[in-house]
Amino acid sequence: MSTAPATGDDRVVPRLARPRDCVATGVAAGLAEHLGWPVALVRLGFALTSLVGGAGLLLYLWLWALTPWQPGEQAPKRRAPVAWILLAAAAVPLGLAAVSGGPPTGGPAWFWPALAGVGLIVAASAWAGFLDRPDADRGPRHEFAVRIVATVVLALVAVVIVFGPAASEAPRPAFAVALAAVAGIALVYAPTLVTRFRELSEERTRRIREEQRSEIAAHLHDSVLQTLALIQNRAGATSEVARIARAQERELREWLFAGDAVPDRDLGAELREVAAVLEIEYPVSVDVVVVGEQRERASGELAAASREAMLNAARHAGGEVSVYVEGRPDAVEVFVRDRGEGFSLEDVPADRLGVRQSIVGRMRRAGGEAEVGPGVGGVGTQVRLRMPAAAPGEGGTRG
Amino acid sequence: MAEASVRVVVVDDHSIFRSGLKADLDASIDVVGEAHDVESALAVVVETAPDVVLLDVHLPGLAVPAGSTGGAEVIRRAAPELPATRFLALSVSDKAEDVVGVIRAGARGYITKGSSGGEVSRAVHAVATGDAVFSPKLAGFVLDAFGAAVGETAVAGDELDRLSAREQEVMRLIARGYAYKEVAAELFISVKTVETHVSAVLRKLQLSSRHELTAWATARRLL
Repeated sequence: MSTAPATGDDRVVPRLARPRDCVATGVAAGLAEHLGWPVALVRLGFALTSLVGGAGLLLYLWLWALTPWQPGEQAPKRRAPVAWILLAAAAVPLGLAAVSGGPPTGGPAWFWPALAGVGLIVAASAWAGFLDRPDADRGPRHEFAVRIVATVVLALVAVVIVFGPAASEAPRPAFAVALAAVAGIALVYAPTLVTRFRELSEERTRRIREEQRSEIAAHLHDSVLQTLALIQNRAGATSEVARIARAQERELREWLFAGDAVPDRDLGAELREVAAVLEIEYPVSVDVVVVGEQRERASGELAAASREAMLNAARHAGGEVSVYVEGRPDAVEVFVRDRGEGFSLEDVPADRLGVRQSIVGRMRRAGGEAEVGPGVGGVGTQVRLRMPAAAPGEGGTRG
Repeated sequence: MAEASVRVVVVDDHSIFRSGLKADLDASIDVVGEAHDVESALAVVVETAPDVVLLDVHLPGLAVPAGSTGGAEVIRRAAPELPATRFLALSVSDKAEDVVGVIRAGARGYITKGSSGGEVSRAVHAVATGDAVFSPKLAGFVLDAFGAAVGETAVAGDELDRLSAREQEVMRLIARGYAYKEVAAELFISVKTVETHVSAVLRKLQLSSRHELTAWATARRLL
């Protein structure tokens, strides 16, 4: 195609690309901008050359297939209701076929116009299904309307052909057109059917996997989980062997009973996971109890502060650590309690920032509160975290 | 502790677990019988009439109806004949689903199989003297099931479907890992009072027709 700008001056030639806000495909507008010609002239050129053995039409389709969209984010917007235009265009050959009755010499005069009409209708529904679908202004309802009209017209064509005079006058072409019409109806619904079928088979696979999983769960429950429990029982609560057995048991159980993992975990699930990790790394056994609704996300500040408190308990106290999470309508509370030596904020030097910064400061900044104090009866340490519901700064920020 | 010896029957389908448990129990606990399924458990329990039956929740048996568990079935059939015998459920998992069925069938508490021999022994003694044994997880489930987390509180003392304010406090502390003694110290009440509250909660758990509990149990065909 032309490489020199038509105007002759030294303007920068824009890359050949289709504008995202276009009439139908953006080919004419893109080409006009590239060449520096008026859009109307380009369109006229396409129309005129199409008369010469369809050359313009071929060029148009070729450019449509190979020209990229202009770089941008938004979905292409097509101003012309192309699907309806194609449907309306189908009326022309179909009407032609209807009026051109009578058996001429070569074959029935209605044959090719009728086939063209069927083709245009299928094209219209394909356009609505594939190209108009992502457009928010049109979408599924528009697609549905086009499909209904396409189906009705195709059915009409088939009925007229089969029950009209054409069937007796020229049975073979009539059969071909009727077949084309029926196949057209199938093509109109093919994308939906394919999607439905895929969903169905996915559902079946999922169910089979679920059944298998519960079978395995039942089996392992009777064997491996029992053995792991026995190991813990015999090895003593905080011994290395017991800890590993406990962590393995927890992991296995989670895998068996939890089903597929939820991508954004809630606070309870997160703290259980943290507990499992801590049990492997430190001589500690962590019991996590979760009560109430879990609106709090695993990524929030409360989760971060809780993790810190649990890590402190595991690192400095060891033994048995209890974690209690209660989600109430007005607030979420987390208690972390150990039975170790115990420490209080007054005893912590100001330069040891661990507890101050990570737990108390973090909670305060996020709009909650934190208390670190001795456990009941002066044994161990208890950390109490409280996050009011819908506190500012607790919108699932980073952790 | 100078407690009287407690006669116990251990019911579990894994012989290795039974022998392990027997070896770990305190000297004050006298294992008078063992059983490995529902039928043998019924025979042994009725014959020996022990103080406490340590009962596996998931017990095999021919006559276990779908949805029920072997453990619950043993309690349902043996309890009417032996009013003095108490049942303590042992479960490999600490999931409330596994346990509430046996509690509602009549068990006085439950502990996980991961518990040490000392813990099991303490629980056996507690159950033998008529107390209920609540784990933190079970306390958590109770708080959930009775709507305590959303602020539901019983007004009348004999209400079965909600917990009183005091019962909620006790359950919260147990869920936070407090021993009865610690709960008593925290709330400035006696250990005996704590035990009374826990027993009251256990009774509610067994008798309540609260829809969360019943819906939950119906879904698993426990009722």
